[in-house]
Amino acid sequence: MRRDMRLRALSGYGFISPALIFYVFFFGFPVIFSFAASFRRWNMLVPLFDARFLGWDNFEFLLQNEMFLRSLLNTSLYAVITVCASLAISLFLAVLINSARFPVLWRFLFFTPVVTPSVAIGTIWNYLYRPNNGLLNQILGWFGIRPVYWLTDGNVVLFSVMLVAIWAGIGGSMLIFTAALKNIPNDYYDAAKIDGAGIFRRFFSITIPLIQPTLLFLMATGMIGAWQVFDLPFIMGRNAPAMSIMTVSWYIYETAFGSMRMGRASAGAFLLFIIIFVITLLILRAFRKGGYEGFAEKET
Amino acid sequence: MKVLRKKRRKYPVSRVIVTIAKYSILCIGAFCMILPFFWLFSASLMTSQELIADPPRWIPESPQWKNYMEIPRRIPILRYYGNSLLIAGLGTFGVLFTGSLAGFAFAKIPFPGRKILFRFVLSTMMFPVFIFLIPVFYLMKNLGWLDNHLSLIIPFAVSGYGIFLIRQFVMTIPDALMDSARIDGAGLWKIYLRIILPMIKPALATLGTLTFIGQWNSFLWPMIVTSNAQHLMTLPVGVSRLTLAFSTTETQHLVMAALVYQVIPMVIVFLYLQKNYVKGFVMSGFGGI
Repeated sequence: MRRDMRLRALSGYGFISPALIFYVFFFGFPVIFSFAASFRRWNMLVPLFDARFLGWDNFEFLLQNEMFLRSLLNTSLYAVITVCASLAISLFLAVLINSARFPVLWRFLFFTPVVTPSVAIGTIWNYLYRPNNGLLNQILGWFGIRPVYWLTDGNVVLFSVMLVAIWAGIGGSMLIFTAALKNIPNDYYDAAKIDGAGIFRRFFSITIPLIQPTLLFLMATGMIGAWQVFDLPFIMGRNAPAMSIMTVSWYIYETAFGSMRMGRASAGAFLLFIIIFVITLLILRAFRKGGYEGFAEKET
Repeated sequence: MKVLRKKRRKYPVSRVIVTIAKYSILCIGAFCMILPFFWLFSASLMTSQELIADPPRWIPESPQWKNYMEIPRRIPILRYYGNSLLIAGLGTFGVLFTGSLAGFAFAKIPFPGRKILFRFVLSTMMFPVFIFLIPVFYLMKNLGWLDNHLSLIIPFAVSGYGIFLIRQFVMTIPDALMDSARIDGAGLWKIYLRIILPMIKPALATLGTLTFIGQWNSFLWPMIVTSNAQHLMTLPVGVSRLTLAFSTTETQHLVMAALVYQVIPMVIVFLYLQKNYVKGFVMSGFGGI
């Protein structure tokens, strides 16, 4: 019997070994390597350990660099606004669709951008956003609003990109909300109605508390994703002043593959990781086991 | 008519107003969702003059279907398709293979350290890709894989989310089924092949669809890897280069046709596999840009 147990344990390791070997090469190694690189001045042309050791210089440089600090500000604005706005809009729409006819049709319409490559989304919107002959300014013109320089005005461009991100993102969270809403028994609403609760009271006292785990899960994953945003700003922000649209990940990308400062870029990536880690922890802490972990361990 | 009257009796006027408001909001929303796609399709059939007309045109005077013919002549779009298909296909296979093996083990085979290893797998999902870009690029360079499809496939051959999803599915398979197979003398490998794999087919379909679409659409890593290897370019990278190259010339109307080439396959795949995808999406909670 003991031999049998040991054999099973061994074969257990055997079954996870492809994944484990992968994690050694594509998780363990990169994390350690990035960490080591972040303390050096390295351009990838020489072996890492021949590169000059700088101590904390890379981190110091970044935290004093105006562009990097601006990218932090831009990204945090982007993350907070897009995640909150798309969650609010998609929850609202999910509630509407839940009680509407043809739910599949609506869901499909709102979901299409989610399966569309972000490169395509960015390019389409680049055209819609054209100042003189773009559709958006034309539509605004019908209401007597003067043309907006969506992608070239430094005060506007970040919001233009956020608008597209919200547009592209609501379908996904809406779908998850719809599933969560379906799990709420109708009796709760009926009982509340009998007690005289209005539509808003019912929403805030029944719906919100009951979908809280979903809400937090979406908020945590949304934040993890939004802090790493790259595609849309990269494709839409080329004609804007760099300061106004640079995001952390774009900054890291430019530092690494534009100017070949791999050490500094790694330091940036670690700062980004720390930010994401802290934000995720805060969200999870604030709601204890409500969000991600609750989801992950639901069936453990 | 009868139905209508019945409804009116059932619902008061305020209810009717709410319903009208509801559907108008949904319609406005749907209009905002559709407009960019409608315009993309319409613009792909315009001449370059029509595309830059001021005020903008909504539909072309006479559809220029030849724009679509022009694309394969200008860029190797078939090669981009082939690369995307190969990379997304093999990457998906890798995720399904490693995910089902590890998911099975984490769910059904007790071994020391199982819990810690599983938590580790979950925690990998929290790391930003930017920590991996540079070291993995360096690794690929030193392995000599940079001018090879492997550099685009192997780094994505395992997904923590995939392992998690399959594990959750395998947990629901009753132990009794496995035990009776073992009494019949089947080893774990046989159990995996004959019992587990057939039973988790829905999970595999969901995960496969999700992974395939994700990989087909991925942009950053393929762009970095293929910057010096044109023959490896995937559809999003190839089309994005086209966007940049064409935007100042007279051929920018072709960008739209190229984008349609890029968007259409995913919309078809999505329509066809909608149920899988939606299910997977609901289970994952990942998405957005």
